[in-house]
Amino acid sequence: MGLRARMGLLLLAAAMLTSCPALAQLRSVDLYAPRPFGYVIGDAIALTAEIALDAPYVLDPASLPQPRPLDYWLDLRDVRLKDHGIEDGVRHYTLDLVYQTFYAPLEPRRLAIPGVALSAVDGERRVAVNVPAWSFLMSPLREIISTAPGQAMALRPDIAPQPIPTAATMRRLIMVLGLTLVAFLALAWQKGWGPFGRRRSRPFAQAARAIAAPLATAPDAPSYRRALLALHRAFDVTAGRGVFAEDLPAFFEAHPAFRAAEAEVRRLFAASRRVFFGDDTQGAQRELPPLELVAISRRLRAVERGGP
Amino acid sequence: MRIVRDTDSVLSDWRGHALRFEGEIGKVVLGQERVIRLLAIATFARGHVLLEGDVGVGKTTLLRALARAIGGAFERIEGTIDLMPTDLVYHAHLGEDGRPRIDPGPLLRQGEQLSVFFFNEINRARPQVHSLLLRLMAERSVSAFNREYHFPHVQVFADRNRVEREETFELPAAARDRFLMEVQVGMPMETEARRSLVFDPRFHNVDTLLMEVESGVIDPEALETVARAIQSGVRSSPALEAYTLALWEAIRNPATLGIEIEGVDMARLVQGGASPRGMSYLVRAARVRAWLEGRDMVVPEDLRAVFPEVMAHRIFIDPVYELRRERIVGELIAGVFARVPAP
Repeated sequence: MGLRARMGLLLLAAAMLTSCPALAQLRSVDLYAPRPFGYVIGDAIALTAEIALDAPYVLDPASLPQPRPLDYWLDLRDVRLKDHGIEDGVRHYTLDLVYQTFYAPLEPRRLAIPGVALSAVDGERRVAVNVPAWSFLMSPLREIISTAPGQAMALRPDIAPQPIPTAATMRRLIMVLGLTLVAFLALAWQKGWGPFGRRRSRPFAQAARAIAAPLATAPDAPSYRRALLALHRAFDVTAGRGVFAEDLPAFFEAHPAFRAAEAEVRRLFAASRRVFFGDDTQGAQRELPPLELVAISRRLRAVERGGP
Repeated sequence: MRIVRDTDSVLSDWRGHALRFEGEIGKVVLGQERVIRLLAIATFARGHVLLEGDVGVGKTTLLRALARAIGGAFERIEGTIDLMPTDLVYHAHLGEDGRPRIDPGPLLRQGEQLSVFFFNEINRARPQVHSLLLRLMAERSVSAFNREYHFPHVQVFADRNRVEREETFELPAAARDRFLMEVQVGMPMETEARRSLVFDPRFHNVDTLLMEVESGVIDPEALETVARAIQSGVRSSPALEAYTLALWEAIRNPATLGIEIEGVDMARLVQGGASPRGMSYLVRAARVRAWLEGRDMVVPEDLRAVFPEVMAHRIFIDPVYELRRERIVGELIAGVFARVPAP
């Protein structure tokens, strides 16, 4: 063997040494496809490629094809890459490609889906990963020249739309509206809006309620005093100012309804004078017994309501 | 028990006298029932009174009638700008023998039995005179001829013309505080009274008119005793005392009660005043009023009836509001009585 031949062998070995790792980086590309025949216009074809790479290499996501029309008859509809991780120093990917064909053949015809060129990187080096092309047979939908006279198709009536169940929603809506109305009325009552503005406060009703129970259970001096005070406050509220015994004529002038109970009111004021300013609760209670005081308060309540 | 009944019967006798006293004055002064009632209260509370009002509404007539009805010694003096304290105390003149003589002046002329001293147009007199008057009102005594003169029964009535402000001297607050009441004398309201005053010849000559007043209805010597009996005989209950203190507090801090007067900043309106002396005068006057109304206990109405006259001039308000004083203080007092809850 001459020197040249030996030199050539050496070069080949060196080239093999450098290229061997590059070959080993791509372990396999397996394409799994459905049946290769019997497709008609509009069918979707799902291809799956399983790619195995040596560990430091990853598929470059930038090299993946974008869903787009590939040809006048072929669309790439969907591209999905699944990474199954590293197993025994090998990284496994599954690449799903969904195509849709719009070819309208006049007779059965073989078509080809072109291959996909991907690349894998490990940081600095880049290797090509080629998913192979695949071919299949497409068939026409109908005969080229009709042999039987065509019949007009009878159109079936449209399907009636399904009613959406709304009864529960309506019930809830009505309920919430009712609640809103009640809340608004409560607010209006509290604020005295609209017709509620004419609502009369009933100080004598409150006073009658406040004094009836204590006087009936324990008619002692403190509760008697409190009862008189409650009635005085009711007079004050009704008149809008403090009402003393000497103001009674003016009070009756302003509130003629109370004139019906004038005698009782005068008796009440006389008794309260004795209690508060004469220090004579005993005498006042003799003159106006607690139970009669309760009766007077009820009478005043009735007068306030517009009764007799 | 016996003493109590005696006091009661004495008081009720005197109440009759007091009502007759009011009636006698009312015969010649028409349409001033409220003022007459206040003067009667002052008389039985042994307090001094300052009358204020327009010209010619009958202030002087009223006081002359009152002096005549009380009986006892009466003196009057006109306030002028050159009146000096000595003019009140001494009377300097030439005697019949041609020698200068100094005799007791108007204040001393009636001796210590003087019961009504009537000072006309008090705001025309100088502050020196006011201070003499202050002592007479507070201590019922003056110094003259190197000794003290005591006037145990004296009651000072003064009047003041509120229209004229020129050549007048405003009374110092201390002097005003010594008056039990400042009574506003207005025009009579009733048309009938006005017509009589203008057209009835009876009212044209004041001197003959005053002769109609029965003289000496009440005994000035006994007034002091009766006044004391009234003060001890008319009760004030704890409830009323609490009410009075609440009124006092409300007058001093009207903003806390939510009293509002149009165009007035309530937080700064009341600067002070409503002195403890004023409040004690108020209760004194309220007791007399209760007695005149035939009650043996003070009720809030009594306080309300005398409150404006006794207290209004003791409330010191922000100078900004001084010119509208009458209306503002009137509303303040009305507001306090409307808001403070009576027991």
